[in-house]
This record gives sequence, structure tokens and C-alpha cells, in this order.
Amino acid sequence: MTTTAAPKVSDNELLLEVKGLKKYYPARGGFIRRGTGTVKAVDGVDLFVRKGETLGLVGESGCGKTTAGRTIIRLLEPTAGEIRFNLAGKGWVDLAKMDRRHLQQVRPHMQIIFQDPFSSLDARMTVERIVGEPLVINHVASGQALKDRVAELLRVVGMRPEYMSRYPHAFSGGQRQRLGIARALALNPSMIICDEPVSALDVSIQAQVLSLLEDLQQKFGLTYLFVAHDLSVVEHISNRVAVMYVGRVVELAKTEELYYAPKHPYTEALMAAVPKPDPRRRDRPIKLPGEVASPLNPPSGCYFHPRCRYAKSICSVETPPLVEVSPEHYSACHFSKELTLRGVSTK
Amino acid sequence: MSDKPGPKAPEQDIVLRVNDLHTYFYTDLGISRALNGVSFDIPVGKVMGVVGESGCGKSVTALSIMRLLPKSSKIIKGDITYFRRPQHNGSAGASDQIKQKSENGQQGFWIDENAGKVQEIRLNDLDPMGPEMRHIRGAELAMIFQEPMTSLNPVYTIGDQISETIMLHQRVNKAEGLRRAIDILEKVGMSNPKLIVGNYPHQLSGGMRQRAMIAMGLSCHPAVLFADEPTTALDVTTEAQILDLMRDLQAQFGTTIVFITHNLGVVAQMCDSVSVMYLGRIIEQTSVDEIFYNPKHPYTSALLNSIPHIGSRSKERLQPIRGVVPDPYSKIVGCPFHPRCNAFMPGKCDKAMPAQTVISPGHNVRCFLYSDEVEE
Ligand SMILES: Nc1ncnc2c1ncn2[C@@H]1O[C@H](COP(=O)(O)OP(=O)(O)OP(=O)(O)O)[C@@H](O)[C@H]1O
Ligand SMILES: Nc1ncnc2c1ncn2[C@@H]1O[C@H](COP(=O)(O)OP(=O)(O)OP(=O)(O)O)[C@@H](O)[C@H]1O
Ligand SMILES: [Mg+2]
Ligand SMILES: [Mg+2]
Repeated sequence: MTTTAAPKVSDNELLLEVKGLKKYYPARGGFIRRGTGTVKAVDGVDLFVRKGETLGLVGESGCGKTTAGRTIIRLLEPTAGEIRFNLAGKGWVDLAKMDRRHLQQVRPHMQIIFQDPFSSLDARMTVERIVGEPLVINHVASGQALKDRVAELLRVVGMRPEYMSRYPHAFSGGQRQRLGIARALALNPSMIICDEPVSALDVSIQAQVLSLLEDLQQKFGLTYLFVAHDLSVVEHISNRVAVMYVGRVVELAKTEELYYAPKHPYTEALMAAVPKPDPRRRDRPIKLPGEVASPLNPPSGCYFHPRCRYAKSICSVETPPLVEVSPEHYSACHFSKELTLRGVSTK
Repeated sequence: MSDKPGPKAPEQDIVLRVNDLHTYFYTDLGISRALNGVSFDIPVGKVMGVVGESGCGKSVTALSIMRLLPKSSKIIKGDITYFRRPQHNGSAGASDQIKQKSENGQQGFWIDENAGKVQEIRLNDLDPMGPEMRHIRGAELAMIFQEPMTSLNPVYTIGDQISETIMLHQRVNKAEGLRRAIDILEKVGMSNPKLIVGNYPHQLSGGMRQRAMIAMGLSCHPAVLFADEPTTALDVTTEAQILDLMRDLQAQFGTTIVFITHNLGVVAQMCDSVSVMYLGRIIEQTSVDEIFYNPKHPYTSALLNSIPHIGSRSKERLQPIRGVVPDPYSKIVGCPFHPRCNAFMPGKCDKAMPAQTVISPGHNVRCFLYSDEVEE
């Protein structure tokens, strides 16, 4: 796939640039015989992240957001592509080509907050050990200093330091997610991949955690890649937003532009489906017709074409590349320039 | 008993009545009072939303009713009554199996001797692991759990787990169970359900696991479905599809849904009534319209104000409710919300617990702004 999504910003402003990233899994099980297919979970992702910004990442469940995030920080082996990271004082490195030893040195700079706090917290470890583990592994603190730092981290995520000696099972869903956030913050990383960090939280704690993430960003110049489903949360926190569909980025733009003047029909469908917090406006959103595209055997041409209300014959034949359709606004649709799509309704 | 049940409905319209429910956890740190007198009635075929901050007891309420509480906890007080409708008694093909059992001379609790009548079953009197409760669970009361990873078994395929549930409650063979599993997976919006049935939970994305849980919960057409944060891991288009599916289920089978969620957009779109919980109690309960347009409790208003609105073009800071939820291990004197409340009246709110009072038909609230009635 050719792409012209190369950023026109100077290298120094960027922290991360991902090009043609792919992550495939062998498909097996069910009625599919061994070796008959490949799940193309991430299938050519292009994106770039500026220092100190928050890039939101949204898209259909199963489209590859978590896989992309985990591959970027090399928790998963990429199948193909480049993951260029601007390492403070050392310049650009390609994480995709790094060996374990070198990765070890880069790791503290990039942290991840997991989507599923239940399986990511070890049930046999106390809160103190869970939150303090990165500090211990990286020999940052021990003894009373460790206790103090853990207490401070608990306080920033709105939990009581007295909880330190308890085990994860004694906490509710939301409380456990906050422990995961406290742990990710422990090493003061430069970039945090936040994989749905607030979806398990109620609105008031959500607000507290988002404010907290913003404060930390201000204070330490943190950069976030922020995966979430709640579009109001993404709007609130992101400078720019990337939209994924079946393993690829189909639109990437400044938050306002993406929300109010989207250029890709899938983005329009997403914006229309947001449930309105008003019981007097119960309109059922327009359902996306057709079958959910599968990363096992994606449709020909544009992956979205079978569900797209604007599709024409070219769409089932040719894959549209992600191109800059207006300054800083990238879209992968043959008709981005012609279509006038509806964004979020402001009423 | 000071607690009056929620919006009053004629008894024959109620499917579940919870009265003054107290559930405590006994831990090495002391007693955690998770539920401190929860009362509500759920009318049959309706959707009741349950909202409230993390840790307020939403999941424990559902788990208490389902009799799925962990060993460290106990229902210490209160009643849970399930009003069984004939159409749900041994529904969906299970009745043959049940009749067989009673012919063998066993006392058939599930046999509807008074066909056509509503049976009253006190769930809190049943053995949580006994045959009655096990039969009710899954076939009549089902739950979509908040934590897909801890409730899906990592060593079995998705297909095995769903077909197992189907086979347990509906008399079908393995092949038919699997066929129905594929069918329901397709309905919850999974692409390639034939591949998915052979996958293990770790091979699915977060939202796909959640949908597998939903599929399991829906597969037996229960009378009451507890959906604990069922769409938190889903994008909005998939969420819309799931909500539609639930509405269809409701229309087709008269399913009652208890919808636990933090998403007030989903509450507005899905629910008929809403219960707002705070520290193990329901502090306000009314219709969805009243909650959004005429909230009474200061906590409810604060909760509504903290929703981030999409399309507000706002970069302004959100308004979190100040302070944190108190520790359930401690015992607060007075209204548990008073330390965080903007309308706090010293000498009153910190002295006694306000009673759940009906302030207008179908709207009740626990707050001294509206009544001086005290819970004894
Ligand atoms: N270990 C694995 N083996 C096989 N397939 C996998 C594995 N992990 C993920 N997949 C597949 O890769 C695809 C993308 O999954 P991923 O978890 O990245 O999605 P996601 O965008 O994060 O979705 P969600 O929003 O639901 O979390 C899915 O089709 C999933 O089934
Ligand atoms: N296994 C347990 N041991 C001890 N306390 C527990 C346990 N499970 C829950 N609790 C306590 O019971 C209270 C209610 O928890 P519950 O899980 O019902 O909250 P919730 O309202 O569902 O919160 P969330 O929105 O975060 O899911 C919490 O204070 C929690 O700490
Ligand atoms: Mg994910
Ligand atoms: Mg819960």
C-alpha cells in the first residue's frame, strides 16, 4: 500500500512514527482448518505522534487497536513495518528491529495501561507490590522510599494509601483499574499507551482520572496514545484522533476536524452512533448495513465498502491509500474530497 | 422496617422484589458493609438502570440476587423474592427434563402445579449451590458479568462454553448447541463466528470477549437478565447493535433487564427506571425521565454534571464530584454522602440517616432536603 501520510513536521517534534505496521496471527480452531488462513489483526497501520500530545485511537471492537498498541511497545513481535521512536538524547531508533537487550533500555520510556485490569493484576500480590513492582525491577526505590512513592501514586489516582497491604480481590472494578494506572505512572515514562484506561470507571472517577492524566502530561510533558471507545472522552483528551477499521488507520486529523468535518464514511457512522444522554431523544442510530468485516478474509478494495452508503464500483476494486486531503487531515477514501459528511451534532 | 420498596407497582406486575438487603464481606481487615439496606421492585419486562460510583455495590447487588457471592460474604438481612411466571418455569425446552425428574418421585419444586399462576420464590432461602438455585440461574435469571476474563474459562473454547450453557438449560445435543452458539455469536456482531467458536478467550479482543459473555447470557432467554457493564469494552456502533438485540429480546420474550452501567447515554437510551446507589444504598429511584429532568438528590445531580458531553467542543475541565467515596469498612454517622454534599446541613445530615421517602408517585429519595423522616 502506498501512503502519503508522511508527516510534514520536523523530525524533532515527533516522538513516534509508525509505518506499514503489520501483525498477523495464524487462524485456527472452529471449522477453520489449521494453516488455512491468517488473522490480519493489524494490516498496515500508519500514524505519527508528536511530543507531548495525545493521539486518540478509536475504531470498531476487534479492529486491532490493542494489538497495534502492544506491538508498538514490542510486547508483540511485529510481522512487518517500522516503529520509529525518538529516544531522548539518543535520537531515532526503530523498535521493530531492536533485539531484547536494547529493548530493555527503551522499555522504561514507554508504559502501557491495560484494557482489562482484572487479568493484569496478580491476585496474589499486595497493592504495594503491584504498584511498586516497576520501581523494584528497575532499582528506582526500596524500603521507606518505595512505600512513600507507592503511597503518593495511590493518592494521585484517588485511592487511600492505607490500601497498600490489601489484595486486588478486595477492590471493585473501578478501584482495580486505578491500581493499573498507578503502576504505569511509577517510572515517569515519556509515553504511555493507554488502552481503554477509563472504560471501567464511573463518570466521576473518569473525570478525576482524565484530569489527572492531563495534569501529569502538563507537568512531565507526557505523550499519550489513548485507545478508547467513549468518543466524548476521546474528544476531551485528544489533540488529534486516528480512526481504525479492520487493521488500518482510515482517518487521522485534529480532534475538532475529525468530529465536526469527518472525511471518511466510517467516521461519520461512528459519530452518529453515540448514545445521547437524554431520554427524550431516543432515536435509534442508523445501523451499519452488511456484515462486519473480518480480519481473516477482509473484503476486496476498501474494507469498508460493503457497509458504506456512499460506495461506488471503484471501492470494491481499489484500496484507497491514506492521503492528506487537506492540511493535517488524512483519510483513506476514494471520495474524501467530494463527500460532505456529517459530524457530531452540536444540538 | 423503614425501607419502603421502590416505585410501587401492583404485585402481579413485579418479577423481582428486593427488600432491605444487607450484604457484608468478612475480610482480615474487618467487615466491609457492601450493601446496607437495598430495596426495589422490578416490574416485569422493564429495564431498570443501576448507576453510582465505583464501589457503591452495584455488582454485589446483582451477585446477591443471583446467589453468586464469594464465600467471604454473606447476606445478613433482607429478602429477595422472585415472582416466577408460567412461561419462564422450566422454559425453553427444559421442562421435559424436569417433568421426568418429578416422575421419579422427587419433589418437583419447579413443577407448576397451579398452572397459570405466579409463583413466589424466596431466593435467599435457597441453597446457593442446590439444584433449585442452579436451575433458576442461567435459565431464569442470567448475568452478564463485568469481568469477562474472570468469568470465561481460559482453557475452554468460546464455542464449548456457550454450547455448554445452552445444553444445560435446553435439551439439545452438542451439535445443535454449537449451531446455536454460532447463531448467537453472529447476532452479537462477531465476524466469522465459525472461527470464533474454536478460539480461546485470550485470542479475542476485549470487546469480543465481552460479546461472548453477552451471547452466553442471552442464549437461554432468561426471565431476568443482569447486565453488569455489558458494553464498556465496545465501540458505539457495536454497542448500538447490542442494545438493539437486547430490546428485541425484551420484546420477544418479555425479558426484564437490570442494566448496571456508568454510561448515562446508555441509561437514557435503554432504561425505563433508574436506581442511583451510594455506599450500599439506593439514594434515589424513579423514572428515567425524572432522573435526567428532575433529579432530587444532590448526589444524582453531581453525577449528571460529571458526564463529559460529546459535541460540546469543550476543552474545559470536567466537573468531578469532589472528595472520594468513603471506605465501606468505616461506619459513617448520618447520610453517607454528607462529607461531599453541596447542600450539607450541619447538625442534621451528620446525625441521622434519612429514610427512603416517596416524594411524588414513582419517585423516592433519601435526603433531608425533602423529608425529615429518619431511618431507625
Ligand atoms: N493471540 C491471538 N491469537 C489470534 N488472534 C488474535 C489474538 N489476539 C488478538 N487476535 C485477533 O486480532 C484481532 C484484533 O484484536 P485486538 O484485541 O487488537 O482488537 P481491539 O481493536 O483492541 O478490539 P477491542 O476494542 O474489542 O478491544 C481480533 O480479530 C482478534 O480476534
Ligand atoms: N471480594 C470482596 N472482598 C471484600 N470486599 C469486596 C469484595 N467484592 C466487593 N467488595 C466491596 O464491596 C463494595 C461494593 O463492590 P461492588 O463490586 O458491588 O461495586 P460496584 O458498584 O459494582 O463498583 P464498580 O462500578 O467499580 O464495578 C466495594 O466497596 C468493594 O470494595
Ligand atoms: Mg482492545
Ligand atoms: Mg461492579
